[in-house]
Amino acid sequence: MKKLILTALVCSLVGLLVPPPALVAAGSALPSPAKIVLGNGLTVYFLRNADLPLVSFRMVIRGAGSAFEPAQAEGAADLVAALMMKGTAKMDAEAIAEALDFMGASLSVSATDEYAQVSGDGLAGQFPRLMEIASDCLTGPAFKDDEFAKERAQRIDGLKAAKDNPGAAVRYYFQKAYFGSHPMGHLAAGTEMSLGQMSVQTVKDFYKSHYRPDRAIAAVVGDIDGTALKALLERTLGRWRNPAGAAPADVIPPLPKPNGRKLVLVDKPDATQAYFVLGAPGYAMGDKVTPQAAVMNTLWGGRFTSWINTELRIKRGLTYGASSAFRTWLPGGIFSASSYTKNDKIGEMLDITLGLLGKGAKEGFSVEEVESARNYVQGQFPPTLETNASKAGAYVRLAFYKLGFDYYDKYMTAIGKVSAAEAKAAAAALLPQDAYVLVVVGKAADIRPLLAKYGTWQEKRITDPGF
Amino acid sequence: MRKRAWILIAALAALSLSLPAAFKKEDVKVNTLANGLKVLLVEDHNIPSVSLYTFFRVGSRNERPGLTGVSHFIEHMMFNGTPTVGPGEFDRRMEFRGGRNNAYTADDMTAYTDWFPPAALETMIAMEADRMQGLAFVPEVVESERGVIASERRMGVENDNDSILYENVRATSIMAHPYHWDVIGWMSDILSWRRDEVVAYYRTYYAPNNAILVVAGDIEPARTLELIRKYYEPIKVSPAPPPVSTTEPPQLGPKTVVIRKEAQAPSFTIVWHAPNAKDADFLPLAILSKPLLDGESSRLYRRLVREEQLALRVSGGAQETIDPFLFTIDVKPRPGADLDKIDRVVEEELAKIKAEGITPQEFEKAMNGVRSDFYRGLQTVAGKANQLGTYELLYGDFGKLFTVMDDYAAVKIDRVREVAAKYLTENTKTIGKLIPEGGAK
Repeated sequence: MKKLILTALVCSLVGLLVPPPALVAAGSALPSPAKIVLGNGLTVYFLRNADLPLVSFRMVIRGAGSAFEPAQAEGAADLVAALMMKGTAKMDAEAIAEALDFMGASLSVSATDEYAQVSGDGLAGQFPRLMEIASDCLTGPAFKDDEFAKERAQRIDGLKAAKDNPGAAVRYYFQKAYFGSHPMGHLAAGTEMSLGQMSVQTVKDFYKSHYRPDRAIAAVVGDIDGTALKALLERTLGRWRNPAGAAPADVIPPLPKPNGRKLVLVDKPDATQAYFVLGAPGYAMGDKVTPQAAVMNTLWGGRFTSWINTELRIKRGLTYGASSAFRTWLPGGIFSASSYTKNDKIGEMLDITLGLLGKGAKEGFSVEEVESARNYVQGQFPPTLETNASKAGAYVRLAFYKLGFDYYDKYMTAIGKVSAAEAKAAAAALLPQDAYVLVVVGKAADIRPLLAKYGTWQEKRITDPGF
Repeated sequence: MRKRAWILIAALAALSLSLPAAFKKEDVKVNTLANGLKVLLVEDHNIPSVSLYTFFRVGSRNERPGLTGVSHFIEHMMFNGTPTVGPGEFDRRMEFRGGRNNAYTADDMTAYTDWFPPAALETMIAMEADRMQGLAFVPEVVESERGVIASERRMGVENDNDSILYENVRATSIMAHPYHWDVIGWMSDILSWRRDEVVAYYRTYYAPNNAILVVAGDIEPARTLELIRKYYEPIKVSPAPPPVSTTEPPQLGPKTVVIRKEAQAPSFTIVWHAPNAKDADFLPLAILSKPLLDGESSRLYRRLVREEQLALRVSGGAQETIDPFLFTIDVKPRPGADLDKIDRVVEEELAKIKAEGITPQEFEKAMNGVRSDFYRGLQTVAGKANQLGTYELLYGDFGKLFTVMDDYAAVKIDRVREVAAKYLTENTKTIGKLIPEGGAK
């Protein structure tokens, strides 16, 4: 596969909240949805699309993400989410799985940092049943002891298995190294230690206080009539009630910033490649710099011909892929660059990467490069909103971040105006020079000598518990 | 490249009843140029974007020892320059016009996938036609790309225990047919292909009479065909590539592969020989895979993950291929799990199906799953382009896409039991275990 990895990265980048095209469209990038407010106050955005007999449902619950877990309960938010599918007062886990598989439908609940999310996709004819099950899981989870024990044990094993894959493990180590004890340092998957000491009561408590209709936003897109949908929603999600007691905190503290270089080396003695992630402060969701930063990142590490992929892959053949991305949340964001190469080439790879960070900030980009990046960001936007699921996801995210449903149109227009000077300013402001967190996973005996020149490294062994 | 391109299953898994009214066989405009290039056009103005997919009838199936992985290498070299478009220019020109692309190589095919705004149509057609008729293979670029592929192999196979095991298992199960090796190829071949061998391989398989072009999305078909004629008609026909004549001999007894390696979790895979995609037994086997191992209600998920708690997940099934390939059951064992016990549980569940078949409820569930997968695959213009090209290549008829649902619906439930008994037998089985060093079983 020529560029599988980059493709995935660019998709998630663009899909997240970057983009729409002025080049392209007369119409709006995202059709304006109808708004349905249920009796319990829950808002559901709705768009009808009868092209295929499919319906997609998306919902986010603010404050139910991993950043809101008690410090000693890392991994609780996603464990709660998973256990909601493992039994209710009406159905046990087998019955739920059987009903969903029988319909050819999918339903999942998971936790990100900032919120929990529910995703349901099914054939139109089965959608009422899908919503009944979703609503039952959401409002009446049983959290049985045996299901808790099974899920927790599997998650602990899953974390061990993840360490067999250095490309996946380096992301966990980076999140820990960068955020430390800040709530954004909570791994959604938890750690072997945190899960080991967690009780089912912790799960019940988190659910009870954090899952509330007054913190939820939902969207439905697909082949269903609006009137029928409203009736369906009223008799399912409309019966969900806020728990007694005050709502818990839903604000994440400002993100930490690296003070100088923080270097972490993780020893994996059987690795034949070394994997790195370098990260530094970015910007918050909705920040004015977003269009300039998107154009800049596209050129530096956001597409196949980006600087970093050109230097590391295309010119030197050091790696299958090299890229960079911004991640953004309400309290702030990060920039990160990553790649991997044979153990004996990791020094050369890091030298080139650091050199390109300096070059971007000092020299910026040519007028032609910036024009190309503008066209690219705009040209690649339409497919990100093509399906029912992607539209429903966009509605709930835009509502969650209070960006407005015309956000993408404004964003595309702004992309079209980014100048070379602005891209350079964004590079100078956002490409890290001396303050960053750098994590490398590889065979320490081979790569330690190559890394010594960058400073003092904190060393870990991949076989030690945790990250 | 994908050691297990389940892409095909998704496509195949496709149909079961009638197709959505929004996409009919008549919506596909078909043309064959004088040089043999088959062209499929689909007009769809849902979004301002075009998907241009080019399929070549070449994959690792067409390789030989010493040149394993070369199909995938050429896929990479297709982005590295022609006599008229310099190295890297394809991507630079495309991205400047707002386009993006990717490519994949499988056992039976190589596909080039472009997504771009309508205004870039002529540029993309011109560049695709250009790289079909001549690559530069600049020596320094060949060497640099060799390093990229070696990195891809290290990432995708050597640093991924499940993939190492699968590579060993398929090479043990399949002795003679070129499906013996993975699409990525052996490392020693990657490091030693000669430029002249690579060029000869390219010239043999990259020709209009060995390709299918699909353009779907925001296009005007007449104008699009005009552009295709302008740029593709001058390309000459090539001699037909040699057929793949090796037939896999029957397996006469069970085989076992054991790998010992530093790891925290074991890996476990079982494969059996399976029929090709056109065989009458293929659809019943595809149906079988759903109640057996697809979803949390499947028999193996329930036994292995839920009840016995031996595994973290199960997956697998049959792949649509030109020649007979494998039916796979992949199990990700929990650290410390008894791998022999996993094998016994799998055999117990298979024995029940061989004796009693699947239930009517399971059969209906499988059909619903197939239908749901199918519609989801048609949600995007890119999905339509991919499915049309895949069907045309595998079955010689894209129209199969519009009837395969009926073919599924025609399968009788007892056929599932029959094919389980016929193919998933002790003597045609190969079992693979990756055992973490340090003694865990």
